[in-house]
Amino acid sequence: MTPDRFRAVVSGVLIGGVVSSAALIALGFTASLAVGWDGSLRGLAATTRSASDFSAIGIGLRDLRPIAFAQAGLLVLVATPVVRVAASFVAFVLERDRLYAAITLGVLAVLLVSLFVLR
Amino acid sequence: MNPIADLGIFVVCVGAGLIGALAGVGGGIIVVPALTILFGVDVHLAIGASIVSVIATSSGASAAYVRDRMTDMRVGMFLELATTVGAIAGALLAAVVAPPLLLILLGIVLLGSAAQQVLRLGKELPPVFEPSGLAVRLRLSGTYPDKALGREVAYAAQRVPLGFVLMGFAGVVSGLLGIGSGALKVLAMDGAMRLPMKVSSATSNFMIGVTAAASAGIYLSRGDVDPRIAAPVALGVLLGATIGARLLPRLSNRRVRLIFLPVLLAIGLETLARGLGVGP
Repeated sequence: MTPDRFRAVVSGVLIGGVVSSAALIALGFTASLAVGWDGSLRGLAATTRSASDFSAIGIGLRDLRPIAFAQAGLLVLVATPVVRVAASFVAFVLERDRLYAAITLGVLAVLLVSLFVLR
Repeated sequence: MNPIADLGIFVVCVGAGLIGALAGVGGGIIVVPALTILFGVDVHLAIGASIVSVIATSSGASAAYVRDRMTDMRVGMFLELATTVGAIAGALLAAVVAPPLLLILLGIVLLGSAAQQVLRLGKELPPVFEPSGLAVRLRLSGTYPDKALGREVAYAAQRVPLGFVLMGFAGVVSGLLGIGSGALKVLAMDGAMRLPMKVSSATSNFMIGVTAAASAGIYLSRGDVDPRIAAPVALGVLLGATIGARLLPRLSNRRVRLIFLPVLLAIGLETLARGLGVGP
């Protein structure tokens, strides 16, 4: 993998994350102007869940709720740096750059511990 | 929020993303006071939104900086090891140490660094030495295309161990206090490692998203991220950071330092004020 190709991969991950996140958030925002944040594009009754409760995002997306679109966009945004580190690890492995593959794997491990273990 | 307030938050956040992308910081110093003072948002939700803004600045600006070879990815990856471990240590220490004293110390460090930045205002580029020791083994040197100077500029990291320790400290500070980690990262790369200002800013931008993502899980599970506020923040910051990332390659290193300096002063003063228990 050439340095330019490497940069294209990392940059591509970041662009993909940013564009899909912005699209989801903008979709949620636009829909909220029509039916309100708690409403539903399927005409269902307003949800009573807190807007900052991300646990029911799956049901919210099924019900086409603006709040769930925005939540999904925010989750994609938060996940983007993590995916970027994971993609860098794969790229360093493909480059047979053991030193930086190990360093990147270390960062990824610490990141995952902080996200899923330390709460 | 009503649509007028949403528009206001969006516009302020375009500015925060723009300045954040140029100065190498996450824009929390603009987003948090703007949301709480101008728009009456609860401080916890404002901090949750500022975490979103840090990640948006980082990813939005780095998408361009990485492609344009402004970011040094090896320097970034190596130093991320220090900041992520530091951030966890900071989060664990939060229960043990007294924040006021730490805030005062950090405020003094930041304001002291601002004085050092003033002294450097006259210098466009740091002196280049042959890389030695760890910088050779870790290949922490390279070139970047400088559109302001119209040529490739070579650089090599100096004092790598000191930079690594300072990055660990930046991580501890962000985990413990949730502030100023972008400014400390720029200072570690520009001040200790003598990287060119634009490379320091772009590489700091690259790193702050990872540091913020490490603590984002905590804010999400606490319910501090309200999409009704975070949505206009994220969209505004993404737009601003994208514009900022197009500007940086064309600005001189001196100009970038001139943008960084008031941001550093504001963060230093705000931190000191928080430590002394004065201000909002």
